[in-house]
Amino acid sequence: MTIILRWLLDLLVRFTRTLDLPLLGALLALMVIGLAVLYSAGGQSTSLVFAQGARFAVGLAAMWGLSRLPPNQLRNWTPWIYGASLVPLLAVLFIGEGRHGAHWINLGVFYFQPSELLKLSLPMMVAWYLNRQALPPRFSTVLIAAVLIGAPTALILLQPDFGTAMLVGISGAFVLYLAGLPWWWFGAALGAVAAAAPAAWFWLLRPYQKDRILTFLDPESDPLGAGWNIIQSKIAIGGGGMTGKGWGDGTQAHLNYIPEHTTDFIFAVLSEEFGWVGVVVTLALYLFVVGRCLWIAAAARDGFSRLVSGALGLAFCVYVIVNGGMIAGMLPVVGVPMPLLSYGGTAAVSLLAGLGVVMAVRAHRPVHGH
Amino acid sequence: MRTRRLLKNSAAEAEQFRRRAALAFLGVVVALAGLAFWYFRLQVWQHEDYVTRSEQNRIKLRPVVPGRGLIYDREGRILADNVPAFRLEVTPNEAGDPERWLPSLARVVELSPEEIETFLETRRVTPGFKPIPLKMRIEPDEVSRFAVDQWRYPGIEIVPYLNRRYLHGPLFAHVVGYVGRVDAQDVETMGEGNAAFSHTGKTGLERSYEEALRGQVGYEKVETNVDGRPMGVVGRVPAVPGADLRLSIDLDLQRAMVAAFGEKEGSAVAVDPRTGQVLAMVSLPSYDTNLFVNGISHADYNALTENPSRPLFNRNVLGGGPPGSTVKPMVGLAGLDSGLRDADDTTLSTGEFRIPGQARGYRDSHRGGHGMVDLRESIAQSVNTYYYKLALEMGIDAFAGYMARYGFGERTGIDLAGENAGVVPSRDYKRSISTEPWYPGETVISGIGQGYWVATALQLVRATAAIANGGDLHPLRLVEARRDGYQAPWQPLPQRTASRITDNPEHLRAVHEGMVATVHGPRGTARATGAGAPYKIAGKTGTSQRSSRKGNISSDPRSLPYHLRHTGLFVGYAPAEAPTIAVAVVIEHGGYGGTAAAPIARAAFDAWLLGKMPEGMDDTGADAEGAGEAPAASAPEATP
Repeated sequence: MTIILRWLLDLLVRFTRTLDLPLLGALLALMVIGLAVLYSAGGQSTSLVFAQGARFAVGLAAMWGLSRLPPNQLRNWTPWIYGASLVPLLAVLFIGEGRHGAHWINLGVFYFQPSELLKLSLPMMVAWYLNRQALPPRFSTVLIAAVLIGAPTALILLQPDFGTAMLVGISGAFVLYLAGLPWWWFGAALGAVAAAAPAAWFWLLRPYQKDRILTFLDPESDPLGAGWNIIQSKIAIGGGGMTGKGWGDGTQAHLNYIPEHTTDFIFAVLSEEFGWVGVVVTLALYLFVVGRCLWIAAAARDGFSRLVSGALGLAFCVYVIVNGGMIAGMLPVVGVPMPLLSYGGTAAVSLLAGLGVVMAVRAHRPVHGH
Repeated sequence: MRTRRLLKNSAAEAEQFRRRAALAFLGVVVALAGLAFWYFRLQVWQHEDYVTRSEQNRIKLRPVVPGRGLIYDREGRILADNVPAFRLEVTPNEAGDPERWLPSLARVVELSPEEIETFLETRRVTPGFKPIPLKMRIEPDEVSRFAVDQWRYPGIEIVPYLNRRYLHGPLFAHVVGYVGRVDAQDVETMGEGNAAFSHTGKTGLERSYEEALRGQVGYEKVETNVDGRPMGVVGRVPAVPGADLRLSIDLDLQRAMVAAFGEKEGSAVAVDPRTGQVLAMVSLPSYDTNLFVNGISHADYNALTENPSRPLFNRNVLGGGPPGSTVKPMVGLAGLDSGLRDADDTTLSTGEFRIPGQARGYRDSHRGGHGMVDLRESIAQSVNTYYYKLALEMGIDAFAGYMARYGFGERTGIDLAGENAGVVPSRDYKRSISTEPWYPGETVISGIGQGYWVATALQLVRATAAIANGGDLHPLRLVEARRDGYQAPWQPLPQRTASRITDNPEHLRAVHEGMVATVHGPRGTARATGAGAPYKIAGKTGTSQRSSRKGNISSDPRSLPYHLRHTGLFVGYAPAEAPTIAVAVVIEHGGYGGTAAAPIARAAFDAWLLGKMPEGMDDTGADAEGAGEAPAASAPEATP
C-alpha cells in the first residue's frame, strides 16, 4: 500500500518537477478569482465557467508541456516557430472574421486568433536574435530587431487590431530593453511617436479608434454614446467602495449597465462586487507573477532564457495596467483583456503557454554555485 | 558570426539584465501602485458619488394606478365597475416609423381608422419616450396572436389595465355618466401628479366625483436593467384606491320609470321627500356610456349628435322649460303666505280673464269657466283665472321672491356638473335680456308657469317634495355614502341643511288637499291616474307651451305637428299622508300632463310603494351588458 502511494507520489513529483510552484499557486489563485467573477458576471450560469475552466485546463496542459522542454531546444526551434506563426497572421487578412476587422480564423471547433501566437513567438524570436549578438545591441542589431518586431506588428495593425499590435510590439520592445538597449533609443522612439501621432490621426486611425481617444479625453462629452461604457464602468467600480457589494450583488453588471462584462470589463465587475480590497488582492497577485518571472529570468542560465522570461513577465503586467487603466477611465479604450479574468480562450492559453516557457527556464536553471 | 559571439560578455550581460530587470520591476510596482491609487480614488474617495449614480441607474419610479371606485345603487347593486383588460401601447422612440410596423400590425390586431388616427395625432404632441395607447380593450385572441409576433414589434407592448364598465349603460347614462381617455386638456386640469391616469370622468357622477373615484397614484421603485425592463420591485408607495360611491338611486325604480316612458322623450326625477335623496333620474332618449370609455367611433358619435332628440343631452341637469300649471300649488302657497288669500277665498272663473283696461283675454282651459273656486279646487281643476288674478295682485317682485324661496331660479344642489339654475320671471331677468319694460300681462302668465319661466324637473320635484314633507326644501343629491377602500365602512355624506318654504303648516295642508283632489277629486285633472291605487296620491298636472308666443294657450296641442306639441308635466307624491316618494315628470311634445306625464308618475309610485314592475320586465337585472363577467373588486391595481 505504502509502496503504491510512494510510487504515486514519486510519479506526481516527477510530473510536476518542472512546474514552479509559487508561480503556479499565484496563477491558480487568479484563475479561481477569474472563474468566481465570471460566474457572477455571466448571470450565475455555470456554462461560461465550465467553458473557461476547459480553456484553463488546455492552457495549464500547454504550460506543463512547455515547462518540460529544455530552453536550449526551444531556442533552436525559435526561428521556425516565429516563421510558422507568421503564416496564419497573413492568412487571417484574407479569411479572417471579426466585428471591426479580420481578427479570427474559424477553425470549425473554435475561433483562433493568430495574433495571440505572436505574443509568445515574437519575444522569443527577438531574444533568439539578440542572444546571438553582442550586448548592449549595436545600431544595426537594433534595426534588424526592429524589423523582426515591426513586420508582425504591422500585419496586426492591418487587421486592424491596435490593442494587440501594441502589446505584441511592446513585448518585443521589452526584450530590447532588457538586453540593454541604450537609453537614447527610448528618447528617439518617444520623439518619433510624438511626430507620427498627427499623421496617424489623419491617415492611420479608424474612426472608431479616434472615437475611443476622444472619449478617453472627455467621457462625459457623449454620455449616452461612446462615453457610456466608461461612465458605466466607473460607476460600477466607484459603487463597489472599500469592500464591495458582495459576490453576485453587483447591480451594474447584473442589470447589463456594464458592457462586455464577461470579457474586457470583467475587472469592473470584480471591483463592484469585491471593492478596493478585491482590487488590491488581485493586483498583488499580478505583481507577484511579474516579480517571479523577473526573478526566474535573473537566475537563468543563458541570455535567451533571461530575455524571454523577463519580457513575458513584463508583457503580462502591461495587460493588467492597460486593461485596469482603461476600464477605470485612466487610459483610452483599447481592446485588451485582463489576464486570466476575462472570458476568452486564445488569450488565456497563450498566456499560460508563455508562463510555461518561463517555468522551463526555472526548471533548467543552473545549480547554485555554478 | 563566430567573432561576434566571442565578443559576448556573459557576466556583463547578466549584470546588465539584472539592473534593467530591477528597474523594470520598480516601474511595474509604481504602475500597479498608481492603478491601485486610482481605484482607491474611485472606490473610496468618490464612493458616495458613484453609489448615488449607481442607484439612479437602476431604480426607476413606476406609477401604480389605483382601481377606480365602484358605483352602487342604494341596494348595493353595481352600476359601474372595472374589468381587467389589455391595451396595446406603443413607445414611438423604440417602435420607429409607424409606416414600417403599422401595416403588418394591422393584420395581427384589428385597428379601426379612428384608432390609427388618434394614435398618429397623439404621437405628434407626445414626447417619443412616452408610451401611447394604440388600441384599448383588445380581445383575448388578439392578445395571444400579438404575443406570438411580439418580437417583431420592438416598443409595442400589451399592457394590462382596468377597464371601466357600466353594467346598465343607457339606463344611467345621465346619472353615472362615463369616463373617457385623458386628453391634453385633462392633463392640465388634473395636474402632474395624476399623469399616470389613462381615464378621467367626463360626465355625470364620474365627473363630479372624479377626485374621490380616481384615488391616488402610488409609486413602485423598480429595479430596471439597461433597456429599462423592470427586474423587480425594491420599494413602493402604495396607491390609494378610489372611493366607492353608493347612490340613493334605486335600480328597479329607475328601470320601472324608463319602461313607463316607452317611446316618449323627456325627463323624470323621483326623490325621497324626507331627505332630498334622488331615487331615480331619467332623461330620455339615452345612449350606452360604454361606447365612450375607450373612445367612440365616428359613426357612433355622429349617430348620437345628429339625432334630433339629442340623446347626449342631460335633460334634468341642462334642460328646463316653462313648468306650466305644475307651479300652481307653489303660487297658491305664495298667495296664502303673502296674506292675499285664505284657503277658502274664492275666485270667479268665467273662462277668460282680462286685465282692467286691456283688451287681451287670458283663457281658462274650460271655455265656459270653472265658476267659483277656492284654492283646493283651483289646484284640482287647474283654474287659470285664480292664478292670473293672484299673480297680478301680488305683483311680479313679490311673486319672484316667493318662487325663489321655493327653490326656483337656483340650483338644487344636485351633485352633477353644469346644473341649469333656471329662470323665475322678474324685472331683473327681463332687463338682462331686453330693453322693454315689464308688462302686467307678463305677470299674469307667470302665474300659470308660462312666459319667462324656466324650471327643471329637479326644481319641480324639489319644491313638490317640500310640500310633501311639511316645508323642508332639501338640496338634492344622488350619492348617499362613500367608502374609502373595500374593507372600510360606508360613510354617509353629511346631510346639507334644508331651508323652509313656509312657516305655516295650515297653508301647506290646504295646498296638499288641492293636490290630493287633483288625483282623487271628482273633477281633478288627473283623476284617471289615481284609479285603482291602494294608496293616495297628491299631484298636479301641467301643460306648457313649446311655442309660447304663437297661437292661443288653450288651443288643442294634439292638433299641432308632433314636434310642436306641448310639453306635458306632472308633479306629485305618495302616499299622500306620509309621502316616501315625490316625482316630477316632463314629457316633451307630450300633449297634456294628465294623460302623458301622470301615468309615468303612477308607474313610479307603484314600483316604489308596491314593488310592482311594469309588464314585460323582470327584476333580476338581466339587462346588464356582459352580465357573465365577474366584477372586479375595487382593490386591485391596474398594473400587476
